[in-house]
Amino acid sequence: MRPVLTAHTDETRYGHFLDIRLMVRLFHYVQPHRKWLWLALLLLPIGILAQVAQPWMIQRAVDHHLATGQMAGFGFVLLVLGGMAVLQMGVGYTQSTLHALLGQRMVRDLRMALFDHLVHQEAAFFHQNNNNQKNQNQSGQLTNRLTNDIEAVSQMVSAGLIGLLGDFLLLLGITFSMFLLSAHLSLVIVVMLPIILLTSGFVTQRMRLLQRRSRQLQSSMAGRLTEEIEGYQVVRLFQRQQKNRFLFDEDNRNYLQTSLKSNKLEAFQFSFVEAASHITIALLFLYAAIPSIRQAVTVGILVAFIDYIRRFFFPIRDIANKYSTMQAAMTALERIFSLLDSPTTLVDPPTPLPISELEKGRVSFEQVTFGYGQETILKGITLDIQPGEHVAIVGPTGAGKSSLIKLINRTFDVHSGQVLVHGTDVRHLALPQLRRLVGVVWQETFLFAGTIADNIGLMDPAITPERIRWAVAQTGADTFINALPQGLETQLAERAADLSTGQRQLLGLARVLAFDPVILILDEATSSIDAISEQYIQRALQTILATRTALLIAHRLSTIQHADRIIVLSNGQIVEQGTHDDLLQQNGLYAQLYALQLRGQTLGDESPRPPLFFKN
Amino acid sequence: MWIFSPLQRFRWAKLTSIQTQLRIIWPYYLENRAGLRWGFALLVLSNATAAAIPYLLKLATNSLHHPSDPTRMIFFALGLMLLALFHSLLRIFGRIQVFRVGLKIEYELRKAYHAKLTNLDSSFFMQSRTGDLISRGINDILAVRMFIGPGFLQVTNTFMSYCIILPVMLTLDPLLTGLALLPFPIMFGLTWLMTKHLYQLSQIVADRFGKLSSFIQETLAGLTVLRALAVEPLWQHRFDQANGGLYEANLRHARLQSFFPAMILFGGALGVWIILAYSGPRVVEGTFTLGDFVAFTGYLSMLIWPTVGLGWILTILQRGIAALERIGVVLNASPMSPSAPSLAQPIRWSGNISIRHLHFSHATHPVLQGINIDIPSGAFIGLVGRIGSGKSTLLALLARLWPTPPGTIFFDQQDLAYIDEASLRHNLAMVPQDSFLFSASIQDNLLFGHPLAGEEKAWEMARFAALEKEILQFPQRMATIVGERGITLSGGQRQRVALARALVMETPILLFDDIFSSVDARTEATILQNLRQLTHGQTLLMVCHRIAALREADAIIVLDQGRIVAFGPHTQLLIESPLYQNLHDQMQRQEKLETLT
Repeated sequence: MRPVLTAHTDETRYGHFLDIRLMVRLFHYVQPHRKWLWLALLLLPIGILAQVAQPWMIQRAVDHHLATGQMAGFGFVLLVLGGMAVLQMGVGYTQSTLHALLGQRMVRDLRMALFDHLVHQEAAFFHQNNNNQKNQNQSGQLTNRLTNDIEAVSQMVSAGLIGLLGDFLLLLGITFSMFLLSAHLSLVIVVMLPIILLTSGFVTQRMRLLQRRSRQLQSSMAGRLTEEIEGYQVVRLFQRQQKNRFLFDEDNRNYLQTSLKSNKLEAFQFSFVEAASHITIALLFLYAAIPSIRQAVTVGILVAFIDYIRRFFFPIRDIANKYSTMQAAMTALERIFSLLDSPTTLVDPPTPLPISELEKGRVSFEQVTFGYGQETILKGITLDIQPGEHVAIVGPTGAGKSSLIKLINRTFDVHSGQVLVHGTDVRHLALPQLRRLVGVVWQETFLFAGTIADNIGLMDPAITPERIRWAVAQTGADTFINALPQGLETQLAERAADLSTGQRQLLGLARVLAFDPVILILDEATSSIDAISEQYIQRALQTILATRTALLIAHRLSTIQHADRIIVLSNGQIVEQGTHDDLLQQNGLYAQLYALQLRGQTLGDESPRPPLFFKN
Repeated sequence: MWIFSPLQRFRWAKLTSIQTQLRIIWPYYLENRAGLRWGFALLVLSNATAAAIPYLLKLATNSLHHPSDPTRMIFFALGLMLLALFHSLLRIFGRIQVFRVGLKIEYELRKAYHAKLTNLDSSFFMQSRTGDLISRGINDILAVRMFIGPGFLQVTNTFMSYCIILPVMLTLDPLLTGLALLPFPIMFGLTWLMTKHLYQLSQIVADRFGKLSSFIQETLAGLTVLRALAVEPLWQHRFDQANGGLYEANLRHARLQSFFPAMILFGGALGVWIILAYSGPRVVEGTFTLGDFVAFTGYLSMLIWPTVGLGWILTILQRGIAALERIGVVLNASPMSPSAPSLAQPIRWSGNISIRHLHFSHATHPVLQGINIDIPSGAFIGLVGRIGSGKSTLLALLARLWPTPPGTIFFDQQDLAYIDEASLRHNLAMVPQDSFLFSASIQDNLLFGHPLAGEEKAWEMARFAALEKEILQFPQRMATIVGERGITLSGGQRQRVALARALVMETPILLFDDIFSSVDARTEATILQNLRQLTHGQTLLMVCHRIAALREADAIIVLDQGRIVAFGPHTQLLIESPLYQNLHDQMQRQEKLETLT
């Protein structure tokens, strides 16, 4: 399979100045806003005309009126000149606004497309990329695509693309006007232009390298600060302050040196254009003073030329600056598009089958094999769970317990065989419907930034506040939530550090309950919490499970002995199954495990862990 | 008039605080005074030469209009070229000089800021957000540089341009000067107002961008949950809203920004128009020359940038002042426990520890309530108790990660509160519960406290921490980079790197906080065996939930609710302490289950 992502960061590589293939594709995103695009393109010549006409009018004023003393028609010239200035302002403002509008809309749409694409990617997408050594920090990398890369494109589009075209056209317009005014004097421009362009280009190139180095050093310093602040205890314990200061100083000093270098170039570039324009003007005067040329050159033409030359250098500086923006944007676009091209493997069936009410709550595995990549985890599992049945799955680490339950809600698809929910192959059911039938509580509950209520209802309008309160009351989470000053509306802090693991698990259970699943899966849901919290959860489960099919993975055997059936998995196969008593009689792996547990209880005076399942 | 009074009050309040803020960079200013003076002189000269350029243009134009002597034109043109070159050189060097001062101060300030952070302790960091401290260290210090470099340059340039050019223009024609400059105060005022507003808008953009980024990050991290409950469309909707909000903010910012170039071009064009309209009839009359017209437009164009620039720089100056305040808060923070000056050569302790009536509270919540114990040098002491019994806090206090109350903890009869930092760190090493590693090579992490110890030492201690074989399996061995917080290593590996990192210090006192929690039983046994060999004569205090390790201990402290409830060797405690028996059984069961499954 071809690599989905390139691992280059923003700063390591620059693309081509202009990649037609990428631009054509980007153009699709302008399509919906094309009337604005046409308007922007239409304004382009008008704006240029308004700029180019001004020196022209000044030339007329000087040569036809001021030099000759002819005042008739001077008012008209002034009127046109003033009109052009106003037009230039109006068109200039509208143009920049339009460019920004187009750019920002396009970027908004592109970001939305990318987000939608990522949200619909299934576990396999992230799994596969995690195995790739290059993509250790997946979510960080993907966030980068959606923020920094898109931002680079945004800069190109709003400041660059049409503006760049405008710059070139303006240069063309000015050159053309100069030739029309005086072909002789334009020769001076022809001589000076390559010198100015080459020098500007060279300096910009050098500056870009230095600026990139600056940014790298800046982020390196930010990185050092982050680590030292987060690991301040270790820094103190090992008395690393001196050494850290030394290392930070290295970066800081390099940053200073780089900045000093680019400071010089920047100062040069800033004044070079100014000096060049003055020298060009001096050359104009010198050239115009040659007697043979003198006849064709009036003072008005010279004044107009001075004006043109002042206007000439704006677009030149602009083009040099836009060059690097374009390059950064091309690389970003390439990465964005290659991410958009990654296929979505797990898709909704084209014509989903309706959910059968007859076998509501039934889960069956038929000759299921499954694995990640080359490795096979599950080897021919056949298992039929009746509606309302409570099944526990036990077995050593790596036996395939978690993989087994991930097939039920189509986190992954089977390699062969089939998984049926409500008597229908899961691949024939609409994904959202399937997933709301199956509720999962994991070992750790992921909490989002927001209130407790938001975390339970996940902001689904179908989950009413009453339903949230009900879910909270059912799980017993209301005891601790009511103790909080703002109750359900309490904002959870970063990483919800202020909640204990047990409290988080109660919230996880309440969340699943709010969505009212028919099948409930508990994947080590109580293994990392203390005995008291577990008692709460056990009480909650008693009512919650009464009407639901349940699958439970647990380490602590005391919690599962009342399950209707216990499945013992080993090495991807079911090695034992039956009730607790059956399995004890079989005297296999389960009996061994249980014996240990029993001894633990007789040895200590700690009360045994409460069972999660009760006989119905 | 009502609109002015609050503004005035605001400015006065600002002025007094500006003085206190400026005190922070005052020493740096004194250090770089000479550079600034040089830069100032160069800028003054560059502005003076600039003013001569339009005058030469005037002479050249007049000479072209009334040709008399063609050699005079050569003189003017060459003069113009030389002047332009000279002016540019002065400007280049002036700018380099002034900006260099800004860059140097940026460097010095950042260095001081970093040094300050390395001196602050838990009580400071517990109250600060990492992102905020980094933003101060990078962005705010950058804003101070802008305040000094471009700020100084722009103010000088604007002031000098007006000082030199305005009198020249006034001598040429006072009325025309007044008319042509009419748009300028408006341009200045608009720029000032708009840059202020623009800055606020850019803050909104940055804020929304940041929120969108964290939303994306969180969504991707919690995608499993969203998928399992099929709420992706809702999240897409939320994203659309945040995305739309960012779009709005960006657009508002762009709209305002679009106004600048349009305004500047129009201001210039308007000035030229006024000059033309005014001078036209006068040129015809003969009271104004064509050269004057050219010179006037030249002078006018020279005043546009200084005028707009001043409006812009006022915003930069305000930001700089605000940034100084934010940096000052950190620079003026004082560490809670100032330690005694460090001895040149720390003395090695024998390693006995006495704790007397140690009480400690987090905020109002008491954690330790009267700890009394004597630990002889060379003892191996286990520390057990339920979650929240105060074990980790006790170790953190011994390591002075929290300020120690005087008269409570003694090492070799010296009060910890008065021991200098270097002596403490040379005699006490700790392995904290969370094995925080730095994104450097394994070797750099191992030799973190002892960078000059050499690779040999790193391998030796890696061997003791049962890590050697795994390091040998990495393609780059000791040079393997462990990633941020050591993310590329497994939990167990991180824990052992942290252990070895402490062992490298070879201190007489070792504090281990739950170092076996992610290590399997066999590795644990190996490490215990190694430790017994290695720590001969070292005092070892270990928070531990493993029976094998506790059996090895000379004695075990049982903590409950911040008090020592039992003390003695394993076998004695099994008989005497119900709490210890209870904990022991829990541990035993846990370990048995682990070996089976």
